[in-house]
Amino acid sequence: MKKIAVIASAFCMLLTPLVSSAANPAQDLKDFRKHYTEMFPEIPLHDFVNGVYSVDKDSREQWEAFEEFPPYETYVEKGEELFNKPFKNGKTYASCFPKAEQGIKQNYPYFDKNRGEVVTLELAINECREANGEKPLKYKKGAIAHLSAYIAYKSRGKKGNVKIDSSPESMQWYARGKKHFYAKRGQLNMSCADCHYHNPGKKIRADILSPALGHTSHFPVFRNKWSQSSKSGDGMGTLQRRYGGCNSQVRAKPFKAQSKEYRALEYFHTYMSNGLTMNGPGIRK
Amino acid sequence: MHHATTLTAAILAGLLAASCAGNSTHVATQSDYNKALADAKAAILEARKAHYEWRDSGKILKQADKAAKAGDFTKAVKLANKAMRQGQIALAQSEHEKNAGPRM
Repeated sequence: MKKIAVIASAFCMLLTPLVSSAANPAQDLKDFRKHYTEMFPEIPLHDFVNGVYSVDKDSREQWEAFEEFPPYETYVEKGEELFNKPFKNGKTYASCFPKAEQGIKQNYPYFDKNRGEVVTLELAINECREANGEKPLKYKKGAIAHLSAYIAYKSRGKKGNVKIDSSPESMQWYARGKKHFYAKRGQLNMSCADCHYHNPGKKIRADILSPALGHTSHFPVFRNKWSQSSKSGDGMGTLQRRYGGCNSQVRAKPFKAQSKEYRALEYFHTYMSNGLTMNGPGIRK
Repeated sequence: MHHATTLTAAILAGLLAASCAGNSTHVATQSDYNKALADAKAAILEARKAHYEWRDSGKILKQADKAAKAGDFTKAVKLANKAMRQGQIALAQSEHEKNAGPRM
């Protein structure tokens, strides 16, 4: 009897790390949401899509003033022109995204079972170009951000609907993204979670940290900071442009946009805002 | 008496030698730099393989290269060692964070 108990106990000890580290996206989503709604009980769940403006009243007033004449409008229009401009072969992006007008951003990123990898909207845009004999665009800003802004704009009002495929490959991508979010990195030894999970609403130098819940609903974004560093004043940038900036700020070497690391992060990060309303593109400082 | 003088001289000589050794007056050579550079590159590569390279390690190596080209191998070795330590710490960080998750 004693032997059985020892074996059972050893088995449980062996199993415990597996169970605790096993990814359970649905439970993660529930816990993630609970964390923020308990941290900010006064904020309605749907308002988290407004990022830092959901947790800081003063910034919100400025942001609402900006939204009266939003600087991203020009780029949404540029994105629309690009979307409808025929490739050399006469086709347009609509040949790859036939439902873009009705809104598709809420379904990205997704796990492509045949390829065994996560596909983001920006990756799909470039794959569409290549399939039609066009050169791929650069991933962080410029035309790809305009196209993404147009598609995001058309998707406004839809609910985030990222599906985490239950296949082992998909779960590996999800776990990689989750780990990236919570793991400290860089010379400053900080994680995404340190700022946007554990300390949203608090100040880091002169800035107020935004909650990660709702982050992905409003990308791509027009950032004043990006606009100021651009000769043309184009402040549009993709989510993965921001990832690179965040990693760099903690003095970790950023990964390339659309690398597996960032696609995995986007897979986890976007799923955590599932069910929230898409409101991209947004304006940020 | 003679024995005491000899002992004192020996102790003083020892202290002087230790003092000189502690004063890093060693002037590094190209060969020292080459070794330090190889060690730094190896350490950074390990961190990169773990997806944990730090932002400035490569920049520090560029500064080291600049110093070496200017003939200041002591500075170049110092910088290469700094980059190596970054690689080593980054790798240790990746190990430490391998099971990272939400803190409750």
